Amino acid sequence: MASLDAVSITILLGAVLVLAGILSSLIALRFGAPLLLLFLIIGMAAGESGPGGIRFDDVHLAYTVGSIALALILFDGGLRTRLQAFRSVLAPAGLLATLGVLVTAALTAPLAKFGLGVGWTEGLLVGAMVGSTDAAAVFFLIHAGGLRLRPRVAAVLEVESATNDPFAVFLAIVVVEILLIGDRPWSATAAMLAEQGVLGAVVGILGGRAMVLVLNRLGLPQGLHGPFVATAALVIFGVAAAVHGSGFLAAYLAGLIVGNRRTRAHGTVVVFLDAVTWLAQIVMFVLLGLLVEPVRLASSAGPALLIAAGLTVVARPAAVFLCLAPFRFSRREKLFVSWVGLRGAVGIFLASIPLLVGMKAAQLYFDVVFVVVLVSLLVQGWTLAPAARRLGVAFARPDPVAHRVELDLPGQMAQELVGYLIEADSPYLRRGITPFWAKPILVVRDEHVLTAAEAGPVRPGDYVYLLAPPEKAAALDRFFVDMPPPSSPDPRLLGDFFVSADATLGALAEIYGLALDPALAATSLADHFARELGLPPRRGDVLRLGDVLLIAHKVVAGRLTQVGLQLAEPDTTAKQPATPAGRIKSALRRGVAFVIGRS
Amino acid sequence: MPLNDLVAPNAILPALKVNSKKQAIQELAARAAKLTGQSERGIFETLLQREKLGSTGIGHGIAIPHGKLVRLDKLFGLFARLDRPVDFEALDGQPVDLVFVLLAPESAGADHLKALARIARLLRDPDIARKLRESRDAEALYAVLTLPPTQAA
Repeated sequence: MASLDAVSITILLGAVLVLAGILSSLIALRFGAPLLLLFLIIGMAAGESGPGGIRFDDVHLAYTVGSIALALILFDGGLRTRLQAFRSVLAPAGLLATLGVLVTAALTAPLAKFGLGVGWTEGLLVGAMVGSTDAAAVFFLIHAGGLRLRPRVAAVLEVESATNDPFAVFLAIVVVEILLIGDRPWSATAAMLAEQGVLGAVVGILGGRAMVLVLNRLGLPQGLHGPFVATAALVIFGVAAAVHGSGFLAAYLAGLIVGNRRTRAHGTVVVFLDAVTWLAQIVMFVLLGLLVEPVRLASSAGPALLIAAGLTVVARPAAVFLCLAPFRFSRREKLFVSWVGLRGAVGIFLASIPLLVGMKAAQLYFDVVFVVVLVSLLVQGWTLAPAARRLGVAFARPDPVAHRVELDLPGQMAQELVGYLIEADSPYLRRGITPFWAKPILVVRDEHVLTAAEAGPVRPGDYVYLLAPPEKAAALDRFFVDMPPPSSPDPRLLGDFFVSADATLGALAEIYGLALDPALAATSLADHFARELGLPPRRGDVLRLGDVLLIAHKVVAGRLTQVGLQLAEPDTTAKQPATPAGRIKSALRRGVAFVIGRS
Repeated sequence: MPLNDLVAPNAILPALKVNSKKQAIQELAARAAKLTGQSERGIFETLLQREKLGSTGIGHGIAIPHGKLVRLDKLFGLFARLDRPVDFEALDGQPVDLVFVLLAPESAGADHLKALARIARLLRDPDIARKLRESRDAEALYAVLTLPPTQAA
């Protein structure tokens, strides 16, 4: 009986911890705190030296759970990466995800070597462990913060954070193997790297294709599509690892393929994996939090803070500026991308590998990486939104969300049923427009199901179901968001001057002496907005051209016709009385502005 | 934000008589040419080139024609109050009676942009515009344009 009780108690404790993790998301959403941080804290609190007092030092279990979780997280990351939509940033993001990780790791290595008093290879290991940015943290903070970043910046960050994990994992594991096996000739190391990469890629691509085939050819019972995809992802991970390929790379690539091919039940698969990924992250972080002894962290806090600082202000910016140099990004954009180098789950997971293989000083690495991740989540996580606004890479208007229901239609894949609740202030109701590719089919009003013809004009509170191509569902959201018409524009976003949207960028650059890529000289402002925003322009949308802010001023029938030019920063201090305190404040503000690159 | 550094006392025209936007720009170009020693035609064409992108009439009867001149050695400002408002194809359709011309040397860069923003923001202030319309002569206009902000407000 006693052993049965022990099992029950384990289940109870585990479930309570996970539950605490889930409920903590409410706190995170309210305060904009990085969610992962809360999971870690819950784990730490439940652990040996916290109030929970649970003894947990099963590195093996933590590593196994971590591997499963990470494989699923990476698969999910691939699934969500829309190659089509991200094609324009694949090159910069891809470079960041590979060379960027390498540079970050290499520049962090000396800090680790001197800070911790270890060898170069060990230093590089620490660098590799903190080399990648965390997709979950980046996504969550960008979306939860209500930030609407410039699309190109957001896309680079998302693709980078989703794709750099396999490379960092890969790098760390290779370094661990070098450390374990001892010095090997470089050729052998390179061969191992290539073998891991190639085999992982082959298994991932083949596995992904097989998954698409099964999804579309075999009539799986309703509800099993999601579990099928999730377990198949783990099988692919396992197969790749078994043949000495990189399992994480394989899982990511498989996700990429499944996410970018037309498949049956795509909506339910995405929803299921979303849930699985959340659960995986919670379990993984709580377990990793349990592994930590907060008391011991204090002893390695000094070098860890040094590494965190060096990583944030030197290694990451250097990697970003180097990798983005060949592409057109402004200095502010690069600074922002540098700042959003949030570390997360992958780092801590990788840091548990030395523990698992019983490496010397493993505990030290784990503690150091843990502190680095903690600091990164706290400092960068919390300052992300202000940084975006300060650097002018966020739009003033947050992105509202529409609540969409997607229904798969059996028998074909070109169309699906998409449902929305009609909100009083939605553009659909206000302007009565539907895109030509969406066809209203059903209206649910007061619990009665009516055809579109029976229902007549829709009213607030109706549910409308439209037939639309699945890949356009997200575009449809824009018509159904609850969004009051823009009242007065943000006074800080008033143009000093106005020009016709037919004016070319070249003409503007010429008159105002702005730096401009010659390739863009013939582009009209209207086209420039359309291309950069990727959405129909709205009054108040902002783009930057050199030192000038371009502000969408007048939009007629979805096309921009007039653009405001804000030639210089608004002078907010102009009308304030010049009190000593006010002067100090404005001097401080100028100081801060100077440091973070606002002139 | 007084404009002391941008406009000289002799670059104020208290009652310019013109009948159209084009004529206003022509007259202002002529006066600017005299004061800067630059070619009148060059100034006129520079200002027109900017107007082609969209009127510099920023609303409330104010226009700020501007442009860059290669051979200029520093920022040059010229202010005119029109005797009778003329249609300037302004944003709000209102006829314009307060015109500030700013010419910038090729090398001015950010200073050019900041100066333009300062002028636009100063003239947008309803108090300033009212005072400019109430002023009788060049001296009074110059005083309003160059008053320190605490007294102007």
